[in-house]
Amino acid sequence: MKVLIVEDNLTLLDSISSSLIGEKFLCETSADFDTAHEKIFLYEYDIVIVDINLPGGSGLEIIRELKKNNSKTGVIVVSARDSLDNKVEGLELGADDYITKPFEMVELIARIKALMRRRNFAGNSNISYGDITIITDSREVFVKNEKIELTKSEYNILLFFFSNPQRVITKESIAEHIWGDNMDLADSFDFIYSHIKNLRKKITAHHTPDPIKAVYGIGYKLDIPLK
Amino acid sequence: MRLIKRTYLTTFTLLIPVLLIGSIFSFYMIKYIVYEETDEHLTYEMERLVEFHSNYGDLPEYHKVTEIIEGLRFDEPVFKDTLILELRDNEMIPHRELYFSINHEGKDFTIVLRQLLPGNDDIFEGALLMMLGLLLLITLFLFIMVNLISRKLWNPFYKTLGILSKYKITEPVPVFSKSKIDEFNSLNSTIDELLKKITYDFKRTKEFNENASHELQTHLAIIRLNTEKLLNNFQDDGNSLVHLQTIINAAAKLSVAQKSLLLLSKIGNLEYNKNTNLSLSEIVNNSLPLFQEAIEIRSIKVKKAIENCNLNIDAGLAEIMVNNLLKNAVMHNTQDGYIFIILSQKHLMIENSGIVFQDNPKALFERFATGKTGNLGLGLAVVKQICDVYNYKISYTVDGNVHKIQVFFTNR
Repeated sequence: MKVLIVEDNLTLLDSISSSLIGEKFLCETSADFDTAHEKIFLYEYDIVIVDINLPGGSGLEIIRELKKNNSKTGVIVVSARDSLDNKVEGLELGADDYITKPFEMVELIARIKALMRRRNFAGNSNISYGDITIITDSREVFVKNEKIELTKSEYNILLFFFSNPQRVITKESIAEHIWGDNMDLADSFDFIYSHIKNLRKKITAHHTPDPIKAVYGIGYKLDIPLK
Repeated sequence: MRLIKRTYLTTFTLLIPVLLIGSIFSFYMIKYIVYEETDEHLTYEMERLVEFHSNYGDLPEYHKVTEIIEGLRFDEPVFKDTLILELRDNEMIPHRELYFSINHEGKDFTIVLRQLLPGNDDIFEGALLMMLGLLLLITLFLFIMVNLISRKLWNPFYKTLGILSKYKITEPVPVFSKSKIDEFNSLNSTIDELLKKITYDFKRTKEFNENASHELQTHLAIIRLNTEKLLNNFQDDGNSLVHLQTIINAAAKLSVAQKSLLLLSKIGNLEYNKNTNLSLSEIVNNSLPLFQEAIEIRSIKVKKAIENCNLNIDAGLAEIMVNNLLKNAVMHNTQDGYIFIILSQKHLMIENSGIVFQDNPKALFERFATGKTGNLGLGLAVVKQICDVYNYKISYTVDGNVHKIQVFFTNR
């Protein structure tokens, strides 16, 4: 999986690429318009993560070039909140997803994996950990080959965990992932708690060990002991 | 009141004392002249009679003698005013009399000459008529003058006014035309300077907001990404996790506050101005499902009476306003509470059960009004800002545990 990250802030660029390398992605980086432009001409990437505000040009131009040359590449636009118009324009140009700063790594990874599934790069849309399997095409969840019924939020939370196994996911990340701006942080923690409680109940009803571990009041972690 | 109307009124009000004083002056003037003339006339007649008598020892055939009193003597001629009853009109009429004496055949005779005078009321009437005629002339003249002056002299002023009323802060500063009048030129240049300053400040604020938010966002992203890494490295170190949690929480709150503050200032700067005619009913119906889970978890009963409501408003702002109001009603609700939504063409009312609130509900519209749960409380401030932009009236009332927010769309 080859990813190109285009971001002008070097510290942020480094943080993102080292996290993605940790996820076993092949990462290349570019900090300005010209090198990014050159790279998309010379190489093929599966996914390009591009910031809109770049020295030397607009990230939108990169998307335009990409779509002109190779429509297979998935594009995730990263930008500042103040450019709602950019979002619309970016998506119209053919970007697949849009994420606003400041985001969390778990969120970016979840978006990349969702994009990968949509593009069907790996040829499957099923994700399995331990006894649990998620079929993302039909949004169904199986535990020990038996289907369990989840609400929309429960499904989204579980999928979020499955995109980031073994990683600590903070309550803040879950709240932002599920509700975006539609809920205040402090309020949503109660709801997350009750969603996770229900999720655990539905999964452990099938005599499966609880896959979601609480981490000291910070958040949760998908932790399924491998047999 | 319009400038020209005001000018007319002031001018004509000032003319009223002129009319009054002028009438009184004319009255006395006419009276003085009438006396002067009458006395002169009587004196002339007296001299004629005296001369005729000394020549011929008799009175002329034609004379105006009213009365001859025998045995009475005046050393000097005497003028007297008297009133005589006019039988036909049954009215006292003023007369002027002249008494003078002659000696006829050794006897003294006093001769009385009498002349009719115009009455005071007649003089006054005359004076008034004169003044009215004059005033009518002056008025006509002034009317034409004021009209001409205001059309010609005030023209640059009206031009400036027209330009100003069309001016929008997001547009470039308009150019004011030169005038021959110094005052208007100075007015135009002052306005021009002010507008330039306002536009400059507006641009600066906008830039500051954009720069500040861009810088904040990038560095907040760095903080959050790296804290996440630390979090995964120290998963089993309870002591470090406590500190990391503090950082994560603060960074998350900062992100939220930053987004909301930016939104507030952008609304205030009228950056959302793509007004379209849209159905608020649709937005309310679409927004409600976003909170369905929260409503179910808390077993909140939702009642709604939604009529058709079309507003001319920016779609994004309408959505933010409705979302924030519904969010407020859901989040600050109680277990097994209720929400009652009424939407009509004229207003939107959202009533919900909540905790008993003691303070002034108006404070909830302030930025950073902190609630019990430590909310940043920018949601309602954003709603207030949107209402301010569109001149909607918003009210928040609390009666015991019943919270009620009403928005009146009055600008239609």
